[in-house]
Amino acid sequence: MSLLQRERESITRNEYVDRFDFDEIEAFVRNASKNLFISHRFATAGKMLVQPRGGFPTYEKVWKLYEAFKDAGVDVLPLTIDSNTRLNDYATAKKMLALSEANDEDMLNGYPLIIHGYRTTRKMMSHFDTPVSLRHGTPDARLLVEVALASGIFEIEGGPITYLLPYSKNFPLDKAFLYWKYVEKVCAHYSTFNEPINRESFGPLSATLQPPVIVIVIQLLEMLLSLEEGVKSFSVSFSQTGSMLQDIVTAKVLKKLARDYAGRFGYGDAQIHLVYHQWMGAFPYDKEYSDALITASTVIAAMVGADKIITKTRNEAFGIPTKEANARAVAGVQYTLGMLRGLPDAGDDEEEAHLERMVREIMEAVLNDDADTLWRKTFNAIKKGYIDIPFSPHVINANEVITVRDPQSNIRIIERGSLPISDASYRYEKAKIALPEGKKVVEKIIEDIGIML
Amino acid sequence: MGSMTTNRKKIVTGVVGNDVHVVANRLIEISLKERGFDVYNLGVNTYLEEFLDAVLETDADVLLVSSLNGEAEGWCRDLNILKSNYRFRKEVLFVIGGNLTVGEADEDVLVPKFKRYGFDLVFHQKDLNEALDEVEAVLSERFS
Repeated sequence: MSLLQRERESITRNEYVDRFDFDEIEAFVRNASKNLFISHRFATAGKMLVQPRGGFPTYEKVWKLYEAFKDAGVDVLPLTIDSNTRLNDYATAKKMLALSEANDEDMLNGYPLIIHGYRTTRKMMSHFDTPVSLRHGTPDARLLVEVALASGIFEIEGGPITYLLPYSKNFPLDKAFLYWKYVEKVCAHYSTFNEPINRESFGPLSATLQPPVIVIVIQLLEMLLSLEEGVKSFSVSFSQTGSMLQDIVTAKVLKKLARDYAGRFGYGDAQIHLVYHQWMGAFPYDKEYSDALITASTVIAAMVGADKIITKTRNEAFGIPTKEANARAVAGVQYTLGMLRGLPDAGDDEEEAHLERMVREIMEAVLNDDADTLWRKTFNAIKKGYIDIPFSPHVINANEVITVRDPQSNIRIIERGSLPISDASYRYEKAKIALPEGKKVVEKIIEDIGIML
Repeated sequence: MGSMTTNRKKIVTGVVGNDVHVVANRLIEISLKERGFDVYNLGVNTYLEEFLDAVLETDADVLLVSSLNGEAEGWCRDLNILKSNYRFRKEVLFVIGGNLTVGEADEDVLVPKFKRYGFDLVFHQKDLNEALDEVEAVLSERFS
């Protein structure tokens, strides 16, 4: 038995898990409907796929949510996991699920997949016969991903950097890399039986004034870490920046360099997709304004040529949306996409060249580290502050980089910290910033965070 | 050490309890650096004991605790008891600010209450810059 298989046996032998039948699961994946695979949808849809967010504690409520989404014309269903499961606290998830079922009140902020188990969940996935995307935020997602794949959930979001640095203060980063390596290996394993399992990185990061160069570097590294384990279908992603031009420039550079680096590392055969997240920052309390923001995001997603869009709702400022509001958003986005025909090809050669150069500068510094493996190089880069996410709660994050918006609302680096970008790149960024006389940087940051309010 | 560095005041800051409001925490750090403090930022999810340990270790002049999720009282009511276990080498200014309670609050009740717990300055839903101006004013009075 291989080392990986031995680890899988050990991970899945857990008091909260009903007996794992690997042979039966393999047969299920082998014979699963093509409609369950988003990789297949990407290849055949011929349109941008629309995916909302959402998940409830009980099986019945998720079923009703999926019915509402299907009526609204959804392309990809989400399954958002509760916070206890994300932290591997299955005992609390179990207790809260029992209370939710008994009292018809949601005691969890998502679906406790491990407690429901794959035999139950698979019935729902097979019934809806639509691709499902696993949305979580788990540093140690080994068991969760085993259960998801066995259930017929064939897209797995996350990664060792993007699901750790924006979410956790203390979870050890080196462990996250190793736990995600397991996830990649298992996804690669199942990809050999039918259509490929799709992995998706989480580009929005902390969703607060994230400089595109950092987002792109992290997308490329998580993509390479996934492809090197044998994953064949991967989605890079980013969220609306607040500048239409910066979104277009980011998408062009991200698409180009994803192909470029995948080829350079010998993974030219992998399918790479682009995912666009509608505005991930603070939403207005006015629901009509929220609708306007969602429509504008949809137009930008079409302009950047996204393969999939992840939607928000008019209830965003008020907490978890009802299934009605969520389904309405899906229908609205589909309607907007339907009218966006004959879009012009916009761009800015100078900005694209500048962003591409900065990404390459950081990537070269990361790859030139002495460590023997890519994950160790990446780990060292984060420790050294070569990769530094503004507004990350994690202790390992350098927290030296500071960003503000320029007069066109593009996010610019005003303080580069230890980022290994050249003086020329840094000068270009700083030259774009116009800080009014006497205005404190912190006041500008507060304004720049709240541009959509 | 040159005279340039000896005048810089040291400040320990962070968000108390199980509170992950990282944006506010980072803005406070940037503001304090802009004002010339040496900042020791313990980040989000920090317990009161960790704050006091850090004040002792860094020989800080100020402890600035922030809280945004409304749970400040539960995490900070034992400050005086805790303080009595430490022997700080200088007079430390204890400051708390943020959203100090859930829902509506009466300042006239809230501020004296947190002062009784052991804070010298208490800022409830106060503008960050105004609050830091006041901290600096008190410090310059102490050291004048």
